[in-house]
Amino acid sequence: MSTFLEGVAVDARKARSSRVLWSTGLLLVLGVNGLSTTIVFAARSGNAQLVAKLGPQAASGDWTAMLSAAAQITSAGGLLALGVGISWLYGREFAEGTVSGLFGLPVSRGRLAAAKLVVYAGWSLVTSLLTVLVLLGVGVVIGLGVPDAAAVAGLGRQFALALLTAVIAVPAGWASSVGRGLLPGIATSVGILVLAQVAVLADIGSWMPFVAPAMWALQPSTSAAPLLMVPIVPLLFGAAIVISWHRLQLDR
Amino acid sequence: MTENVLALTDVSRHYRGGAGVRGIDLSVRRGEIHALVGLNGAGKSTLMKLMVGMLRPSSGRVEVLGTRVDAAGLATWSRIGALLEHGLIYGELDCRTNLRLAARLRTVPTEQLGPMVEAILTELGLTRYASVRARRLSQGNRQRLGLAAALQHQSELIILDEPTNALDPSAVIALRGALLRRVATGTGILVSSHHLDEVARIATRISVIADGRMVGTLDPDGVDIERAFFATVHKAMAGIG
Repeated sequence: MSTFLEGVAVDARKARSSRVLWSTGLLLVLGVNGLSTTIVFAARSGNAQLVAKLGPQAASGDWTAMLSAAAQITSAGGLLALGVGISWLYGREFAEGTVSGLFGLPVSRGRLAAAKLVVYAGWSLVTSLLTVLVLLGVGVVIGLGVPDAAAVAGLGRQFALALLTAVIAVPAGWASSVGRGLLPGIATSVGILVLAQVAVLADIGSWMPFVAPAMWALQPSTSAAPLLMVPIVPLLFGAAIVISWHRLQLDR
Repeated sequence: MTENVLALTDVSRHYRGGAGVRGIDLSVRRGEIHALVGLNGAGKSTLMKLMVGMLRPSSGRVEVLGTRVDAAGLATWSRIGALLEHGLIYGELDCRTNLRLAARLRTVPTEQLGPMVEAILTELGLTRYASVRARRLSQGNRQRLGLAAALQHQSELIILDEPTNALDPSAVIALRGALLRRVATGTGILVSSHHLDEVARIATRISVIADGRMVGTLDPDGVDIERAFFATVHKAMAGIG
């Protein structure tokens, strides 16, 4: 097995026993589903205030309402949850002092950092998939019916949004590496969230990679072309993470 | 085959504010224990960090197993064991899993993992904690686990920073035995300590460091080497003053 794959296997084993990743993932799945269901019930009961806040899509109380609510929650809460996940993957090595054990190994620190990205991708994929599968189940149970073609497309969009949200949270991993702890990463997640929310509310910057996923998911009629900008984030910040770990010195 | 498994030549590393180490020459030969002794803040940990790449030298040359540290790769690092600071211990994992993962990061073949881990658990008296999560261990047993992770694979060079910290007397005896067995097979070992502990006393050579400089050596077989150590340090510090 290559040293990179050894790194992936070791970090995946650590992730499997991580309370942080389990609880954050569970919180995301249950949070998106719980809040979306609540919003559907509120819309069905004719809560005018809620409809005014969430827009006409939520008023219908059907799959459209469920998926619109899920998209809004994912683009905000999901970003924070996924940001906590990647911040922990990198920041815990500094916070717990285990980073000192990652020197002088046949598996280089650059490869270990890249291996963590693979583990993060796997965790994000499973969490995103579970969120959508539970949405599907809950939707059927609360009487939204078997999803039609539009709802199926909406579920697919929700899955893509969750994955794209994971992608734009990668800078949090870089911040945790450079800042040598969890808090810089979490603060960066909050910063990305604020930036994205302000841009969406102001209806500007839809081409920005941090804004494009939420804009696309919430307004399906808009062009998906800005999503092409999103891969820039993991490429740029993924490379920055690997370089920062490769060059790391424990001089402070 | 090179005689030295570790060689530092005129190595300096400066920190902001003036601290650091200056003009250090140090070596460890195959089949010897070299103890590096100095008071707190003397520069022992800085030197050891330079040996595993945690720090890069401002000047000079650091070689492990005949290769410069910045050029060392898989073939070199897989033959080295080290414990500095916290070590590779994850609280959420039990002792056995921690050791398996540490071995995997040293590219130990899968079929060797089981017997190797069980052997080191026995050697360092950790068998009854094998299934206990590391976060539940006492400080002494965590140190023992860190040592086990550094010693379990076949190493030609072992670097241990203050290995007896927090160890009880039985663990110190177990460690001393483990080191002597490895030295007998040709492994070179560097241990640091802030005092002449039980491990420093089995050293082949003892070097004294003070204020970032090598200031002398002690005869391991000498009489009252504790007194000789303090005399060496005080003489060096008086010279600086």
